[in-house]
Amino acid sequence: MITAAWVRRAAAPLACAATLAACGADDKSGSSGDVMFDNGVTNEPCPEAKNPGNGCIYLGTISDLSEGPFAVVGVEYTAAQKDFWDRVNEDGGIGGFDVDVVKYTRDAKYNPEEHVAKLREIEPHVLALAQSFGTPTTLAGLDIMKRANLVGNGATAWSGWAFEDDGLVLESGQSYCVESLNGLDHIAEEFGEPKRVLAVHFAGDFGGDAAAGAELWGARNDVEVTTLETAPNAVAGSQDAVLAAIRRRQPEVVLVATGPAELGEIVGKAVAAGFEGQFVGSSATYGPSLLKTPAGPALKARYRYVGPHAPYARADTGAHRAMQRARADKLPQSAAYAGGWIASYPLRRLLEQAAKKGDLTRANVRATVQDVTVDYEGALPPRRFGRGGATIERQAVIATLDDEAPLSTRIIKDVFVGSTAKDVTIDRACTADR
Amino acid sequence: MRRWWLALLLGTLLVLPLWLDRELNTLMATLFVVAIAAIGLDILTGWCGQVSLGHAFFLGIGAYTAAALGGDPAGRVVGLGLDMLVWLPAAGVVAAAVGVVVAPLATRLGGLYLAIVTLGLVLVGEHLFREVTSITGGAGIGRPAPDLVLAGVDLDRTSSLRGIVSLDREMKLYLLCLALLVALAVIARNLTSSAVGRAFAAVRDRGAAAELVGIDLTRHKIVAFAVSSFYAGVAGALLATITGFIEPRTYGLLYSVEFLAVVFIGGAGSLTGVLLGAMFVTLMPRLVQELPSVLPFVTSGSSADGFPSTFQLQTMIYGALIVAFLILEPRGLLGLCRRARGHLPDWPLRH
Repeated sequence: MITAAWVRRAAAPLACAATLAACGADDKSGSSGDVMFDNGVTNEPCPEAKNPGNGCIYLGTISDLSEGPFAVVGVEYTAAQKDFWDRVNEDGGIGGFDVDVVKYTRDAKYNPEEHVAKLREIEPHVLALAQSFGTPTTLAGLDIMKRANLVGNGATAWSGWAFEDDGLVLESGQSYCVESLNGLDHIAEEFGEPKRVLAVHFAGDFGGDAAAGAELWGARNDVEVTTLETAPNAVAGSQDAVLAAIRRRQPEVVLVATGPAELGEIVGKAVAAGFEGQFVGSSATYGPSLLKTPAGPALKARYRYVGPHAPYARADTGAHRAMQRARADKLPQSAAYAGGWIASYPLRRLLEQAAKKGDLTRANVRATVQDVTVDYEGALPPRRFGRGGATIERQAVIATLDDEAPLSTRIIKDVFVGSTAKDVTIDRACTADR
Repeated sequence: MRRWWLALLLGTLLVLPLWLDRELNTLMATLFVVAIAAIGLDILTGWCGQVSLGHAFFLGIGAYTAAALGGDPAGRVVGLGLDMLVWLPAAGVVAAAVGVVVAPLATRLGGLYLAIVTLGLVLVGEHLFREVTSITGGAGIGRPAPDLVLAGVDLDRTSSLRGIVSLDREMKLYLLCLALLVALAVIARNLTSSAVGRAFAAVRDRGAAAELVGIDLTRHKIVAFAVSSFYAGVAGALLATITGFIEPRTYGLLYSVEFLAVVFIGGAGSLTGVLLGAMFVTLMPRLVQELPSVLPFVTSGSSADGFPSTFQLQTMIYGALIVAFLILEPRGLLGLCRRARGHLPDWPLRH
């Protein structure tokens, strides 16, 4: 007999089950007009729809937004991507769909395990990834991306993406490996060829790629290059081991591929201890807020920034003008803003191409990678992806640090390709030989 | 009546994955495994009264044992490609063995001193997991979890059950974790209802008196550590499998605190309390994610969008709830349920 007590006891678990079942509904395939779609696309409008009558394409974002070593970069990168896709929506969207990059934004804190967990969480609901932040994190999730035909803009410049991922990860700009080649080529031009170089780097394929580039440069130029692996301060506690190595080895140049906090500690303390050499750093390594720290004067005097493109304030490219209009000319906090904006072009091009073919299914979006040439509105040269024809980008921007310059980076060389970077053959990931 | 209720609950849970999407099936599987780990901790802390901050260490031992035994042999790190029938029990046994080795150190101490020693265990574990990169991949890199092959059947692939229903990876993990939770919960219930369980309670409540009546304190504490570590090892292996990837920094002090939170928020010393705590701690972050659609001042994006974001809110709510429960209702959610059950028949009458 059903009693009141029986109903009370069953109510809680049944209510939970009903709620969860109501929440859960895997995306279904469908079509809108002439466009077929499956995961991550719907005829329903986006939560903040700009175009009445448009359906919605959901793109996922997995970034470092709070506690990780690159949160400063991740927050700006993500903000830039939102502005980029807002502009796409204001221009009418893609193939009759607005694009949403907010609903499936997740924070992985630059932790590969968290990244994979968040990727599993959002993968059923998105067509592609607007951002997959970090090299070891993206590598950790690559199997899932392969099985799910999930293409993504990579906030990562590992040299292996051109060879090892079947075109799933769409990277923009030079790799960390080429960045090291260009950075050391510039240092040799500006200060004379060094006798000893120390390459300090995080573990994994971000830092490892930069270190591999330094080793390649050393081998090509007959210069002694030593690499030293370090870790974020949250793991290692401090960079004392790096500082001890600088004192012991007395390099003329230190190449740094770490996070901003670690860079500030290394440069500030090394110069304070009497180090007289130069520093050159990966694009992900510097953050303008470092100039306000005690390491600021040392950074201004001794650091050279190597990046894939101009940080923000350029008036002569369509991309930069569009960024500035989106920001209403209010300066972003770092060069990561330009990085996030420019890195969004590949996926936009891919979706436009797939929509033209009338097929926004994941399988077709992935297949379209092989056919696409991406126009960056002048910020970078056009680029191809996919098997057999992927572009190896070699140009860099070199800057010094200057409080008076926008985002405190004063460009001293625009569209720079160093002599080693220009000539070296790159037919596999630089880290393949480490 | 209670059996009917349990049968209804179990029946609902068995068919639920057919209606949930993949993300929610994964969330439920995580809930079941968190409950397994918390049951183990509750046996040690709630039943035997031994405060342990070292649960994360045993979860890590289990995870890496499973990954090493069941991982891809062609990968960058150690992997023997063995079946789940080997690596899952091995994860528990190896963790239990480590627990037995460590326990004699802990059995001489109590209270805060024991907590500090188990904290030391977590710190040693963190260092070990960071340094043994051939097995763990190293901090910031990590490694894949063991392959999901059970008795030769690849659970990673979607398969059909007699052509009637299609079971994907997430559904299979859900059902596997549910089955293991039921089995391990029954074992834990039998243990705590037995003479051993009564001895645990005696050790917790008045150790000196327990010794006087002939209860061997050291032996029972070692048994509690071993059982707790076994549950943690199995749970560590399963959690690794659900995510598919593990990273050494996971197994730190905060991870131990999470499971203590499950035990204390749910209600220590009670299986039902632990299950309630696991439900609460696992489902709360997911519910907070839905807040932006209900509360306009909560942003869903990064902290650049404004304060608070869902990420920040999750952390704040979590901390506030632990404090609130410890102050207002030390018996946890179970205590709240019992109070409500006591008042409800008479509501709205007060007397």
